[in-house]
Amino acid sequence: MTVLAWRLGILVGFFAVWEAVAAPLNPLFYIRPSSLPGALLGMWRVPDLPPLGEHVWLTLQEIAGAYVLAVAAGLWLGFLLGLRRTVGRIYEPLLAALYAVPSVVWYPSLMLFFGLGSASKIAFGVLLGFFPIVLSVLAGIRQVPATLVTVAQSMGARPFTVFRKVMLPAMASTMVGGLRAGLALSVVGVLVGEILGSRAGIGYVINYAYGLMMTREYAVLALLAAAAVLALDTAGALVEARVKRWAG
Amino acid sequence: MTAPGAAIRIRNVSHHFGEEGDPQRVVALRDATLEVARGELLCLIGPSGCGKSTLLNIAGGLVAPSEGTVEIGETRVRGPLPREVAYVFQESALFPWSTVAENVKLGMLFQGVPEAEREARAESALEAVGLAEFAQHFPDQLSGGMRQRAALARALSLQTEILLMDEPFGALDEQTRLLMGEWLVGIRRRARKAVVFVTHSLQEAIALSDRIVVMTARPGRIKDVLDVTLPFPRDLNAPEVTELRAKLWEQVREESLKAMGTLP
Repeated sequence: MTVLAWRLGILVGFFAVWEAVAAPLNPLFYIRPSSLPGALLGMWRVPDLPPLGEHVWLTLQEIAGAYVLAVAAGLWLGFLLGLRRTVGRIYEPLLAALYAVPSVVWYPSLMLFFGLGSASKIAFGVLLGFFPIVLSVLAGIRQVPATLVTVAQSMGARPFTVFRKVMLPAMASTMVGGLRAGLALSVVGVLVGEILGSRAGIGYVINYAYGLMMTREYAVLALLAAAAVLALDTAGALVEARVKRWAG
Repeated sequence: MTAPGAAIRIRNVSHHFGEEGDPQRVVALRDATLEVARGELLCLIGPSGCGKSTLLNIAGGLVAPSEGTVEIGETRVRGPLPREVAYVFQESALFPWSTVAENVKLGMLFQGVPEAEREARAESALEAVGLAEFAQHFPDQLSGGMRQRAALARALSLQTEILLMDEPFGALDEQTRLLMGEWLVGIRRRARKAVVFVTHSLQEAIALSDRIVVMTARPGRIKDVLDVTLPFPRDLNAPEVTELRAKLWEQVREESLKAMGTLP
């Protein structure tokens, strides 16, 4: 409880200091927090843009699509490489090398392939979210104690039972950590994709406001996006804690 | 030694790791032939790396031998036989995310034992090893000795004719190890099982065995088989025991020195 009170206090203090510092300065560059709610209202309906709600909804859909695909591809490839040792030994170094490349360099080619619409944002979200997932599956499989697998086999467990009763619980916490990191990166991918070039979505509106020097509007949208990412990650952390308790 | 009632027949088993011509190829076992009688406790003893564990894993079907055959009852072994053979490993063989009771029941679950019977068998197995009160604890809440007793309970609950134990008390301190031996002797008095027990402790071998098999340094062959006819529970200070230990040590010492590459 005291921790929560402290956090709240720090947040309030942060805005208070911000307000005090920004008040006497040029409002174009030094935005006062008290002006943000008004800016949000103004942004809600901009004459030459669809309503803000539609942008938010589009971005959420893109994030969901990107994350679902990243999870599916990451789990599939992770288990494929992790369970077939030879295949894994061939491809894993390639994967690690690719992961080391800053993913933004791929974005222009994704735009060329998938166009300016949602598809390229989803593709970029998949690309970013995919790596931590696949790597955590590979790490998780390596963590499964060989003795436990042997024990299960000696007691008559079939391969699928070994997978479900031994491997999954043994790798759960590592894998869930990867899934959580993947979610955060999928969100980043979609937002960055929208900001770099798009016709709709939160990222687009942020870019639009920024381009027209609507700095107050820009600031409130950026803060909103940050809050949304934080909320998603908190949800992820709760799920992670639950799974860790389950897997011990 | 060709009793018709043999529980395990190991015939001319050799085993190597790695392919022919591979510089890292290791010949672990060479031409081991051995029968384990029903209800007897047989200890495998020998220097480190002599293939004791490999022989045990081959006997239970966890490892396929490069050459030779193993029969359990009338069946040629080609893989794990969970209804005939139960294992106790050296350590950390309990599932850390399950309670003691769940761990014991898991093996029965794999074999399709009905829920009610699983419950009853787990309870009596935990009773037998004195862990009834710890059924709902998790493995990391138990001491090393208790964990091994839980693993033993899991093996007992499977009600197999054969129990294979790979240095089950090897990671425990001396006193706990002695007490665990006493437990095992007591349990065997109630449930007669053929037990093959890998150990590197002469003391433990003498305290528990009906027969002791001494293995040579790698590649492991069977060097000698000693009958131990002293009654249970054994007084480890009896003169016969001292004599036996000296004889056993002489053989093990010779092989251990070979394994280390120095023969003074």
